Amino acid sequence: MREKDKVTGTPVSRIDGILKVTGKADYSTDHPVKNVAYAVLFKSTVAAGTITNIDTTEAEKSPGVLTVITHKNAPKLNVKGGIRGGAMLQSPAIEFYGQHIGMVVAETFEQARHASHLIKVDYDKAAPKVDFEKLAGEAVPSKDHQDEKRGDTKAALSAADVTVEEVYATPIEHHHPLEPHATIAEWNGDHVTLYNSSQIINGAQNAAAATLGIKPENVRIVSPYIGGGFGSKGGQWANLVLCAVAAKMVNRPVKMALTRQQMVNSVGLRQRNYQKVSLAATKDGKLTALSHEITTHCAIHDEFVEPCGDCSRIMYDTPNSLISYRVVPMNLILPTYTRGPGKSTGSFALESAVDELAYKLKMDPIAFRLKNEPARDPSNGKPWSSRATVQCLNEGAKAFGWEKRKLEPRQNQQGNYLIGYGVACGTYPAHQNKSSAIVKLKREGSDVTAIVELAAADLGTGTYTILAQTAADALDLPMNKITVKLGDSDLPPAAGSVGSVGATSYANVVNDACIKITNDLIARSGKQYFTRPTASQLMISEKVSDYQVRVDSKAPDNADDYSSHSFNANFAEVRVNISTGMVHVSRFLAVTGAGKVLNPKTARSQIIGGNIWGIGMALTEESVVDPRWGNFVTRSLADYHVPSNLDIGTMEVIFIREDDTASNKMGIKGIGEVGIVGVAGAVANAVFNATGKRVRDLPITPDKLL
Amino acid sequence: MRPFKYTNANDATSAVNLSAGNANARFLAGGTNLLDLMKEDVERPDELIDITRLPLTQIKPISVGTNQGGLSIGGLGKNTDAANHPLVRQNYPLLTQAILAGASGQIRNMATNGGNLLQRTRCPYFYDVAMPCNKREPVGPSSRNGCGALEGINRMHAIFGWSEKCVAVYPSDMAIALAALDAVVRVSSAGGQERMILFADFHRLPGDTPEKDNNLNHGDLITAIDLPKNNFADHSSYLKVRDRASYAFALLSVAAALELAGNRIVQVRIAMGGVAHKPWRALTAEKMLVGKEATEANFKLAAAAEMAQAKPLEHNKFKVELGNRTMVEALQLALDGNRS
Amino acid sequence: MNEGNETPQLTEDEKKLFEELMPEDLAEIIDTGVNRRHFLKLMTLLGGGLLAYQSAAAEQVFARSPSVPLVSDAPATLENGVTVSFNVNGASRKLMVDSRMTLLDTLREKLELTGSKKGCDHGQCGACTVIVDGRRVLSCLTLAASCEGRSVKTIEGIAQGNASLHPIQAAFLKHDGFQCGFCTPGQICSAVALLDEAKNGDASYVTKDVRKKSGPVRLSNEEIRERMSGNLCRCGAYPNIVAAIQEVHSGKLVEQTWNLIG
Repeated sequence: MREKDKVTGTPVSRIDGILKVTGKADYSTDHPVKNVAYAVLFKSTVAAGTITNIDTTEAEKSPGVLTVITHKNAPKLNVKGGIRGGAMLQSPAIEFYGQHIGMVVAETFEQARHASHLIKVDYDKAAPKVDFEKLAGEAVPSKDHQDEKRGDTKAALSAADVTVEEVYATPIEHHHPLEPHATIAEWNGDHVTLYNSSQIINGAQNAAAATLGIKPENVRIVSPYIGGGFGSKGGQWANLVLCAVAAKMVNRPVKMALTRQQMVNSVGLRQRNYQKVSLAATKDGKLTALSHEITTHCAIHDEFVEPCGDCSRIMYDTPNSLISYRVVPMNLILPTYTRGPGKSTGSFALESAVDELAYKLKMDPIAFRLKNEPARDPSNGKPWSSRATVQCLNEGAKAFGWEKRKLEPRQNQQGNYLIGYGVACGTYPAHQNKSSAIVKLKREGSDVTAIVELAAADLGTGTYTILAQTAADALDLPMNKITVKLGDSDLPPAAGSVGSVGATSYANVVNDACIKITNDLIARSGKQYFTRPTASQLMISEKVSDYQVRVDSKAPDNADDYSSHSFNANFAEVRVNISTGMVHVSRFLAVTGAGKVLNPKTARSQIIGGNIWGIGMALTEESVVDPRWGNFVTRSLADYHVPSNLDIGTMEVIFIREDDTASNKMGIKGIGEVGIVGVAGAVANAVFNATGKRVRDLPITPDKLL
Repeated sequence: MRPFKYTNANDATSAVNLSAGNANARFLAGGTNLLDLMKEDVERPDELIDITRLPLTQIKPISVGTNQGGLSIGGLGKNTDAANHPLVRQNYPLLTQAILAGASGQIRNMATNGGNLLQRTRCPYFYDVAMPCNKREPVGPSSRNGCGALEGINRMHAIFGWSEKCVAVYPSDMAIALAALDAVVRVSSAGGQERMILFADFHRLPGDTPEKDNNLNHGDLITAIDLPKNNFADHSSYLKVRDRASYAFALLSVAAALELAGNRIVQVRIAMGGVAHKPWRALTAEKMLVGKEATEANFKLAAAAEMAQAKPLEHNKFKVELGNRTMVEALQLALDGNRS
Repeated sequence: MNEGNETPQLTEDEKKLFEELMPEDLAEIIDTGVNRRHFLKLMTLLGGGLLAYQSAAAEQVFARSPSVPLVSDAPATLENGVTVSFNVNGASRKLMVDSRMTLLDTLREKLELTGSKKGCDHGQCGACTVIVDGRRVLSCLTLAASCEGRSVKTIEGIAQGNASLHPIQAAFLKHDGFQCGFCTPGQICSAVALLDEAKNGDASYVTKDVRKKSGPVRLSNEEIRERMSGNLCRCGAYPNIVAAIQEVHSGKLVEQTWNLIG
């Protein structure tokens, strides 16, 4: 196929878009399952202790109620089956505020919700560990993240011309996908179908099966459309299996959706981090030490630590480096992956510190970064498969008008507003994970159509579209001849749509399958060809009416010889109201090198989405725990401020053209995560440039700028 | 949401009488706050009397009485219609701005003018039935009394007029403008009485009875809000400070209105939102400004005098300085004027 | 260096295709987007083409019609049942609901209209936005019982004449005004109503001078942002949503830019 005829790389509109703009895309609770009953969860109102009595009599008598399920009558489940966060009604022990302690199943949602308010619970309360400010001092070394040392940062810091040593704090954040986690469970004998939202279809299938004690082939996950996930629908949580339990107990399909208020302590969170970053440099701006020491919290019995030090491992060339993680267990729900896990929050700390250091050196922060650009991955000495940081900074500076930025803060005032520019870099690893796919070809007369099947997820990432594009090119068929089926565990197993592995893993396996089906058809014909025929030509010439292949793909064997990451540079212009302290990001530019861009339209949207998440992290989002009781006081979307439309100004995106075939055959690196990395840093740096005030504790709400 | 009987009212008299017959009945107008709170199990009526079809939606000039020359706004008119009525926009732009600063287009299409005055606090301890709250569970021998916010997370809470029993703030934007405009609330009561309540007397400070947000009695129906005639239309401003640009409750807001003779202040009204259990009239600041030149220096002195009386809590000390700055800026914007 | 700037509504390939095969329809497509008739025609002409890949989905969209009877009965266990008649997307409905049932739950659970979404159930996200008697409202804070005699339009009823997309829908497709799509039905209902609000000359919090009310207003992007702020989008499609609405509101093409450098 001629390069110019290819549809990959072109801005095709989403093929699932028409369903989404007409309200016909079926999300978890939209599936038309008949005769459903409705379940509503109820939750603990203490953070630690034991349930001594749970009185369900009034609820059971309430009209329409079919059953009330608590630890007293719930079936035994395998709590080590892969469901995250516990709370599966297996014991009276309470480990965090808002732990599920039961559910009411009723004929209607209204009846179930009302009855859930009639439950009376007595607790033997224990003193909860919920005040991170006080507990941070008790943090111990992480089990999952060993300290990583090169050289001697202490010596370098004390010998340095210029140093920065500051602590940067980020708040607890919640994913709050617009679609709350929800499930419809329908049993058929010993086989259960779970309509739910899952970023990892096979992960949900295996975790549900292992927890319920049934075979994976007896669990079907149906998740064709996902109303956002951002990490919270990567691992699955108790609500998935509890819905199956409820359906089993009432012997009919059950629908159960978390309420928005329940989301804050049901499906993980991004933990609060204190990050001490210490930088040392020579007078002329050569970095001599970088240490990044993280203190955070995890659940009482389970550790999850987001890797805030990851950017610091690879972003800058320095002979001395230290990354460490300390963690304190708390009576809060298990933290989990949240968009740009570790890198988004970690880059805020690192890139703020770099900005502070550059300011002390009286150096342009871009010049400082260029001077400390590493030729190889400093953490392991491997060559980069590709690294576009320098181009991102240079092209971005040009496009953004960086030359207009003043080195000194508070130099740009327009009326009642202070204007500032900030820059910050980011990175996220690129991987291809194991995936399988089936490609089916059908022919009627001279009409050849293809079906692509794999248990991949599209949570708004554009997976349907990029796979249709990939298959169209690889089979030389028009896109309208290709049907893409995703989001069903009956399809071949695939990687999750997590950690920016989706596009890489899925597009490669689909491409491999299309190549294989063509090769098979050539071999089957027994003929020799001067020019390689397309699959569609072969179907016609060889009069094949049906043919299919299944392919399993993984990363190239030598992929590990390289260090593969996406890189970006973010530029923010902020306007700060001098009277009120309200900050507006009037202009934002992300320049990204993320391998081959399969669809610039959906890729641009993904980057902007990540950027907006970063702006939320910088300015508006914060989950607050009452340090006395462990409850969230920000338990609704009126209290937890995700950015609104008016919060967002002009968003610009530039991609650096890359074809990173060292990383994988298709040359893709993934864009879902990197879009948020470096954003909060760029905004915070711009706020400093505007106001002269360095805010090291996100979010930058008006009160912090008075 | 507890089971409740749904009743339709055909006219104001029957609505008031229906309500009088059931102490646990509530009127349903826009429903934007009531249904929200019923879903949280905070509000627990056993009967809702739907008053949305009552003919109390008109906006019309007042032709008799003390407020002659003013404007009467129907209690059951929608916020959107009040904000966009040509007479409101022309003569009371402060009210238009304040209404449009609140909630979202959808909610303003639903919320009624009377209902807006009856919004309950957004205090998270009030909203969460697992938390102690004297407003939700009135102080009494059997209540788990206590104010969750007093020593809890109180960044959003009051700096004026709070009591040990309650530190909640009143969340409406519209009402802040109405306070500045010295509006009068017309109320129908059971038995057919009509009352007029001055806006300053409508909402209450918490004292020992934080469960009472205002001075309405059970069954009272807000039929209209009267706006007295004034000379503020050229110089007024509503400035709202919040944690995100839109669709968020105020950290603090200021409604400012000036009547000028040259640059001398003939009359001034300043009301603040997000600082107290009711719209907070900055009377100290107003007194200091009357008769003075409208200058930034005078605005600053007045704001400082007003805010000096604030008693902030642990997490909202910033509201004192924010109040200072926002008041000065709102007055400045009012001075700059509404281009007309 | 910067070779990726492409302006129009359709990609060059798409435009060429339509130009070649359906020249008489091109203006209409650029104007109002691609509708079912265009799809079918295109499919007939070529059995192919770059936009017709959506044909399978289009079939599904226009084929599925509600299977719900026009009058439905209440379950036996219902307390406080209220009989209510209202019009939904042009069809009269009469049903008995629990007095507690919201319009949103009625649409989703009783009328099989699951396009309207429950994002928060408390009026804090806008995903449940529908148009009642011509105005956008939140169906999660509306009791079904209070809808007697009202006319409700949901996302399923936005497409014009049940055969082609509303210009706002087409513009959302073109400008990628969504990712996960969950907030999209609410965004689109909100946007459709917003067009009328602009025609009415309604003001917003960012309107510079609210005092004058003189006929239709031309909305800046900032005005659209404020007026759409009651619809949260967690994927962050806001700039694309604004572009889509601005294009329909202004009647002028809004440029789409793909910057690929190097």
